Amino acid sequence: MPIIPAELVHAGGNPTPGELETCLLAGRTLLADTPEHLMQVVDVLESYGEVLDAYSINLIHQAEAQFLNPFPVFRFLDGDLSPARIWRHLWHDRINYEYAEYCMKTMLWHGTGGLDAYLDSPPFLENCRSIIARKTRRDPLLAVLHPLFPEFLTELIRAAATTHALGQFWRVMSDLFLDLARAEADGTVRTIEAVVEFIKDALVAAAAQPITYAVEVAGERFWVLPPEAGLTFLVDVAVPYVEAVFLRGTPFLGTVSFNAQAQQISPDQSTFAYGALFADPLPTMGAGIPPSLLMQDMYRHLPPRLHRWYDQRTRGEGDVRVKICMSFQKAMFCVTNAAIRGTFPHPLTVSEPAAQEANHAHAAAWAVRLSRARTDALGAEEGTAQA
Amino acid sequence: MGMLSTLLLIPFLGTALLLLLPGNPPPGRMRGVAITVLSLQLLWSLRVLLAFDPAQGALQLCESLPWVNSIGLDYRLGIDGLSLPLVLINAALTLVSAVCTRDISQRPRIYFSLLLLISGAVNGAFLADNLLLFFLFYELELIPLWLLISIWGGNNRAYAATKFLLFTAVSGMLILGAFLGLALFTGSVDFSLSPVLSDRLSMGSQLLLLGALLVGFGIKIPLVPFHSWLPDAHTQASTPVSVLLAGVLLKLGTYGLLRFCLGMFPEAWALVAPWLAIWAAVSVLYGSLAAIAQRDMKRMVAFSSVGHMGYVLLAAAAATPVSLLGAVFQMVSHGLISALLFLLVGIVYRKTGTRDLEVLRGLLNPERGLPFTGTLMILGVMASAGLPGMAGFISEFLVFRGSLPSYPLATLLCMVGSGLTAVYFLLLVNRAFFGRLAITPPTDPAHDSRLDIRLAGVAPRETLTTLGLALGVVLLGLVPATLGHLSESSTALLAGLPHVVLASTGAGGLG
Repeated sequence: MPIIPAELVHAGGNPTPGELETCLLAGRTLLADTPEHLMQVVDVLESYGEVLDAYSINLIHQAEAQFLNPFPVFRFLDGDLSPARIWRHLWHDRINYEYAEYCMKTMLWHGTGGLDAYLDSPPFLENCRSIIARKTRRDPLLAVLHPLFPEFLTELIRAAATTHALGQFWRVMSDLFLDLARAEADGTVRTIEAVVEFIKDALVAAAAQPITYAVEVAGERFWVLPPEAGLTFLVDVAVPYVEAVFLRGTPFLGTVSFNAQAQQISPDQSTFAYGALFADPLPTMGAGIPPSLLMQDMYRHLPPRLHRWYDQRTRGEGDVRVKICMSFQKAMFCVTNAAIRGTFPHPLTVSEPAAQEANHAHAAAWAVRLSRARTDALGAEEGTAQA
Repeated sequence: MGMLSTLLLIPFLGTALLLLLPGNPPPGRMRGVAITVLSLQLLWSLRVLLAFDPAQGALQLCESLPWVNSIGLDYRLGIDGLSLPLVLINAALTLVSAVCTRDISQRPRIYFSLLLLISGAVNGAFLADNLLLFFLFYELELIPLWLLISIWGGNNRAYAATKFLLFTAVSGMLILGAFLGLALFTGSVDFSLSPVLSDRLSMGSQLLLLGALLVGFGIKIPLVPFHSWLPDAHTQASTPVSVLLAGVLLKLGTYGLLRFCLGMFPEAWALVAPWLAIWAAVSVLYGSLAAIAQRDMKRMVAFSSVGHMGYVLLAAAAATPVSLLGAVFQMVSHGLISALLFLLVGIVYRKTGTRDLEVLRGLLNPERGLPFTGTLMILGVMASAGLPGMAGFISEFLVFRGSLPSYPLATLLCMVGSGLTAVYFLLLVNRAFFGRLAITPPTDPAHDSRLDIRLAGVAPRETLTTLGLALGVVLLGLVPATLGHLSESSTALLAGLPHVVLASTGAGGLG
């Protein structure tokens, strides 16, 4: 018997692909529109915004200040090497930047979209050659390493490029989520529909924002992601990010064994379904479950309103991180919902049959993938405070 | 009033006090009174410990009052290194039972009175220095325990309680029969504990009496094939009663084995010892293999008791100073470990509503499961499997070390049983505690979304007793010399009984 039976993983009265498609085409939100959902989504995204701000600053710092450093011991300190900061770091009074790295590695590993294509292109490899030539001239360790492992430094540069791109992506998302919280506070956003619309508008507004990355090596400036590569926010970073982190993900180390025993790990990487929309919130805080790090970070920045709400439910403070993860999953469905809306080929009101067909195809493709996700999170919550 | 009589008086007076409390006090107050009385009993047991002289192997702090002289029933109490640890375990575990009794709405007055009565009777049995007095106390705990199972037990409690009563009543009859037979054969009504009595008998009579005692105590311990009452009794008994049953009452059987079988019939014992060693190995292997097959956590722990009590028989069969010391260690450590495991299984059952290993999964889940309970469970099963640093190791090591020269084959088979302990307890931990949290069978997922599992958390006060027992298990494993010091003289004396034919002389004391 599998350790996690399939029916357990996909329990509940989940919507069918057809129902999801209808919902998307009708312009309805995936997440049920209830006041409790609104509060959870807005507040959890506010704390996520705070955390993403720190992640973004750190990722950009890593990509710029720790570039091609084979032993980046101090990479989580944002350049602040004061004893107080080091002490707080060792005492673990800090943000878990490891989670940001985990997301970066997931993106790099799945490698979809424009950014990944550019990382394998001849201009990029040419830039890498110049950078490595410059770097190895002054750095004896790298000068020895590079001839021995010629792919190593190039791969490090790819990782640095993904790190920087993710940092830029999260910069936008952080500001967006904090703006959303302000909009809800001042009464502009009052429904889940308004939340989805707010996120969609922000994504569309940032869609064409260029993604570039330059480094300084031995006093000389080099482009890693030059403007002429034409990489943009939505298509080249946001979409691959959603693909890698929301949808595919990776089996968590802490659950790999029982996922493997249950034969739930697909041999085909492109059909992986371990992302944020598929993940099981219950093992949160278990060993080897990376989102635990994010939940802990969000817990540090939890708005008091949501914190009080959690305190009144299930085990109160005892299982707060699992509850954060559940709310977070709801919020991620809203963000996905906004991304799907923003990427419809035509407006939903279009009457031309060919355009309608294209919209249908877009909605159907998403509906099939989402139907296997944790759609049990979408319905209205039953009951309130429970044992 | 002697020191040992006070050990009887405290629980019996407590029983009377509970029964006579005026009005209709709330269950909480009854529990409070019981806990106070049992704490006093524990303190007094510690006082006895302080007054005890470990250098002396014979009974000490003796008290004697003529009672019914004509039938040889004297009120004679005494304590030695064999009974003192058991008296301490009795005091500690009855207190644990009372503390972990919660939400008792049905007849709390009777419940706590019976608990105190059992504790007093067990003290009496361990302290008795007269065969009939021992028998009286041995029988005295029978009815209260039967009531505890049949009133506060599970759904099938009537069956389990009756089975327990029948088995244990037969056990009592056999023991009484053996004691009376001793008087009949020797023509004396002196029921004092002395091997000199049996010395006058022919080997045939000795073997007959010893056989009756062996079966009598074998039922109580229990040894295969007289064990079948135990898993049923445990499954139906409430957690505190299981703690008492496994931790204390089974020890009456092993105590009887050492005190009355080995202690009074050393010559016949030496003759049957090789067969007893084989019996021990069969019991250990049967208990362990049966435990592997269980899907009820409590039955699994119960069968593990069957297996682990077999070690005591092995040690008694070998009867070397080391093995007998190992038997005392095994009694104490099994008391602590099985009490701990039953308490933990009780917590799991209370929170999830099931003990089914086919249903429970992933209880170690850090936020929604029972992580601390799971942690202690892992510690408990490691101790039970005899991992170094915990009580189970030192007792099994002493038993095996002491028995190996005398009965190498039986000892090796018992070691296999020790390995099997790791098998079934790892199965338990792996099934119930690892993996993805689940507490209901995968039958109808469509109507019951089991993704959001809501288990009530375990309050710190609920784990206080288990934590205490776990500490005891570790402490005994780390500092075994304390208990060794208490019991060594007595077990050496028992092993050195003049007529015992020692199969091996190579084994020395604990050092």
